[in-house]
Amino acid sequence: MEVQDELESPTIHTVVDLASADDPRAVSAMLRQQRVHTIENMFHLLTHREDVEAALRKPAVFTSAPEAVQLGNIRPLIPLSVDPPKHVKYRRILDPLFAPKHMAALDGEVAELVNQTMDHFASKGSCDFHEDFAVPLPCTVFLRLMGLPLADLDMFLEMKDGIIRPSGVTMEDQAPTRRKTADDIYAYFEKTLVERRRAPTEDLLAQIMRSEVDGVTLTDEEILDICFLFIIAGLDTVTDSLDCIFGHLSQNPAHRLQVAGDETVIAPAIEELLRWESPVPAVPRVLGEDIEIDGCPMRAGEHVMLLIGAANTDVAAHPGVDSVDLLRNPNPHLAFGGGVHRCLGSHLARLELRVALREWHKRIPEYELVPGTVLEYTEGLRSLHHLPLQFTAAT
Amino acid sequence: MRIVLDADRCQGHGRCYALAPDLFDADDYGHCVLLVDEVPDGRQDDARSGVENCPEQALALEG
Repeated sequence: MEVQDELESPTIHTVVDLASADDPRAVSAMLRQQRVHTIENMFHLLTHREDVEAALRKPAVFTSAPEAVQLGNIRPLIPLSVDPPKHVKYRRILDPLFAPKHMAALDGEVAELVNQTMDHFASKGSCDFHEDFAVPLPCTVFLRLMGLPLADLDMFLEMKDGIIRPSGVTMEDQAPTRRKTADDIYAYFEKTLVERRRAPTEDLLAQIMRSEVDGVTLTDEEILDICFLFIIAGLDTVTDSLDCIFGHLSQNPAHRLQVAGDETVIAPAIEELLRWESPVPAVPRVLGEDIEIDGCPMRAGEHVMLLIGAANTDVAAHPGVDSVDLLRNPNPHLAFGGGVHRCLGSHLARLELRVALREWHKRIPEYELVPGTVLEYTEGLRSLHHLPLQFTAAT
Repeated sequence: MRIVLDADRCQGHGRCYALAPDLFDADDYGHCVLLVDEVPDGRQDDARSGVENCPEQALALEG
């Protein structure tokens, strides 16, 4: 990418490139030279930490109206596309199910799934980390949590990709795949709900089905809208985070040694690499009223992208955030967003990442990028097309 | 030194109680609950760490 060109006229591709650039920090630094950019009269970008943070905390102004995220769903995604006061009802049901203490209890189970995933390649001495580990793991964990058959893994990966990464360049090209995939997702969970009513289980889905607010359980449509969001928000993002973290460690041996040599480095290293890589580089909002920032007028109904990656590397707000320090403290990053829409699954994501890094480095502490590999990051959400690693064959 | 929590700002990021679980705890929703008012001697660094890692600036130190 020609960095200078981007500065003069950031386009819709600039936002896409924030995920796929070799060095998204450089793109972010350039964009931060202006607090607000307006892209092709379509939407605005907020680039400064202070503005992004303020916007996240004002859901009535920077709303998550359903048109902010159009992914083939026929009703608003719950709780993502619902704002207060209704949002509170859903988070009161869902937050306890994803609270850190609840998630910590899954450590052993996730460790088992991590090791089973590694069994497929550990003795071979090489793998495509993306295909063989980062893609299947989050989906496997999800199926286990929801009490769904592991045999559905490939179908789930197809459903996830059909929404997040459909073929086609423009939104219009992609729409038919999204619509068709969305129909599949609704149909799959409708069928599952019928089965569960006949033969109740004890898992996350069962907990959601019997949750009550003021004595009233969720409707089937509400449960479907929650499940839809789980697939599109919970699977790809953990894959992205794993790719970003292992992509960094495999190219930075000193950091890999730091993580492999001391288990206590894992938790802060995850926070730091989520900040540095910002796998979700931007979150969309729709303006609920006319506002003005830095002399730039914005009208109700217009779209705004809050640039999480740019905020996370904003040296004006937090000096020193233009480099990686695995033990950075404090590190109040916004990789999981902020405000009322703070990522519901953040504590599950952290658990998966923590256990994955721990178990991986126990078995394969030394690994490197296959020589000659040029890493290519994906658009939209930052993951890798491939991450070929080589290592001494492990047991 | 005292820790002050603005519960309306807390969104349950959980950074504070992950870093200093004897000073901060979580309620059923994962939101912060203070375990101490006065920061015990020798725990100032952990208190500061819990406060300064909050992405919502929901925590502060006084005194």
